[in-house]
Amino acid sequence: MAKRFDLRRQTGFSEIAWFCLFALYAPILMLVVFSFNDNRSVVKWTEFSLRWYYEAFDNDGIRAATAISLKLAFVSAFFGTIFATMAALATTRTKPYKGMYLAYAVINQPLMIPEIVTAIASLSLFALIKQLTGVTGIGYLMLAHTVFTIPFAYMPIRARLEDMTLTLEQAAADLYAPPTKVFWKVTFPLLIPGIVAGAMLAFVVSLDDVIITLMVAGPGETTLPIFILGAIRRGITPEINAVSTILLVASIVFVAIFFLVQKKRTK
Amino acid sequence: MNQPQDTTPAISVRSLVKTFGRGAEMITALNNVSVDIRQNEFFTLLGPSGCGKTTLLRLIAGFELPDQGEVLLHGKEIAHLPPHKRPVNTVFQNYALFPHLSVSRNIAFGLEMLGWDKAKVTATVERMLELVKLEPLANRMPDQLSGGQQQRVALARALAPEPRVLLLDEPLAALDLKLRKDMQLELKRLQDETGITFVFVTHDQEEALTMSDRIAVMSNGLIQQVGTPHDIYYAPETRFVADFIGDINIIRGEVNSTSDGSMQVTLAGDLEMTLAGTASVGQSVAVAIRPERSHFAVVGAPETLSARVTDNVFFGAGTNIHLMLNNGQGFIVRIQGQESGCKPGDTVAIAIERDAAKVLDN
Repeated sequence: MAKRFDLRRQTGFSEIAWFCLFALYAPILMLVVFSFNDNRSVVKWTEFSLRWYYEAFDNDGIRAATAISLKLAFVSAFFGTIFATMAALATTRTKPYKGMYLAYAVINQPLMIPEIVTAIASLSLFALIKQLTGVTGIGYLMLAHTVFTIPFAYMPIRARLEDMTLTLEQAAADLYAPPTKVFWKVTFPLLIPGIVAGAMLAFVVSLDDVIITLMVAGPGETTLPIFILGAIRRGITPEINAVSTILLVASIVFVAIFFLVQKKRTK
Repeated sequence: MNQPQDTTPAISVRSLVKTFGRGAEMITALNNVSVDIRQNEFFTLLGPSGCGKTTLLRLIAGFELPDQGEVLLHGKEIAHLPPHKRPVNTVFQNYALFPHLSVSRNIAFGLEMLGWDKAKVTATVERMLELVKLEPLANRMPDQLSGGQQQRVALARALAPEPRVLLLDEPLAALDLKLRKDMQLELKRLQDETGITFVFVTHDQEEALTMSDRIAVMSNGLIQQVGTPHDIYYAPETRFVADFIGDINIIRGEVNSTSDGSMQVTLAGDLEMTLAGTASVGQSVAVAIRPERSHFAVVGAPETLSARVTDNVFFGAGTNIHLMLNNGQGFIVRIQGQESGCKPGDTVAIAIERDAAKVLDN
């Protein structure tokens, strides 16, 4: 009897799978484990303790960096998602127009451009503006983050719009809804899962960004990843493990929300 | 009941042209289509996929704009109004119920958009739920309904704003056969009860014949024939209509003589009949005859076609006897039941009912 092809029946499948999972998660697991180590060492286990977490919470530098990171992530995810939603509508809910594919490519291009290039480009542009206007502050960092979160937020929103049949909007128009009502009564409520997913993704990429932040951030604008980066120059301590674990958990939570809303929409 | 009748057509389509794409890839969906749809009529646009029937419906609804021509609604030009400004409503093929709104909120949608006051909206929604027999499901969400129930909600939603014309785009296509039969009668009942003009799109000829007051048969962006189900079935004007609707025999005839709208035609070189139509003497014409309007007769009887039996095909409600005429063309005679009394190879005689033979235009 012919059996259906199943990759899992191939020789060595589970061994390879386990190896890949190990390679992916062993370092992270180690980092997490040693964040609970009651010792200065990050390689030699002695005893379970939350002491590094207390220390991290007591560290003013970490607290300030966390506050900046969160503020930055909220602001950039908020505005990035709004712009991404508008872009997604403009590339799916319009009659095909000349340059639509170009627009689509342009919106996604930042994902392909090496981040260091974007970072240096932003740095030079902002330096020029600062020189011309004399305006300084965290606004530049927020602007830079907003811009690079747009393509991340754009993807799930566009996917959602493409899944939504145009017939629903036509049905609303057929039932006497003028275009703005069609949007707010039908398109928008149905788009919410996409928007939430996009916002989560935007939030996480902003929260985790290093390179662009490193270039654009002014004095005192230290985000959590930048703080960690600075701290390890002075040697890795379990405190860094603890902070990294917190950042990891935060990222996992947001990505989990992203996957949950994504899953719900395919139901 | 002697009120003066308003005879303005509910929908009047004039010289409508609609193309899609451009250059070599241009498709002409509607090629100069004109038709009048009467008030309170159940009117069906029937044709194979790609014939332009759905495009015509979408032009009436306002989802597409015509390249040329006019669409009049009760005498008023609407071809360039956006959908939300046209007093017509649509039942979509896949129902297009708003998944985030309950059954009653779906039905209320159009009424709220029209700015009706709350009490009137509530009352109308209740009346509509009653009309489509869905009162117990008012608070369900669309994904908690069966296909047939969704269909009813879509109908109620489209009927609630009391449109001048209701457009139905193959609304029964997704239902299974049994449910489809029920819904055909249900739709007919709703049309009677509401008195609203229905324009119904389908590719199912049986559905069209069952439900319609009049049918427009379409192909290749053209209307081939408009008529009552009886006309369309028994008096097809073109070969396309004859072929598309039900089973039909199309056999060759030679015109022997003509006189004032009628002519003597020899069918299959065998039987001479007087048929309505105009053609020149000696011309070859196509003659259509329904299988159920021809019968067996005594072999050698006058005014019969002789043929040889090639096959008996039982299909439940009857049997199709496949025959071959003297000129080599195939012919089918349909009988009730299963006992044909003849077997392949037998020679038989076919008598054709009076007025059953119809000369086709081409």
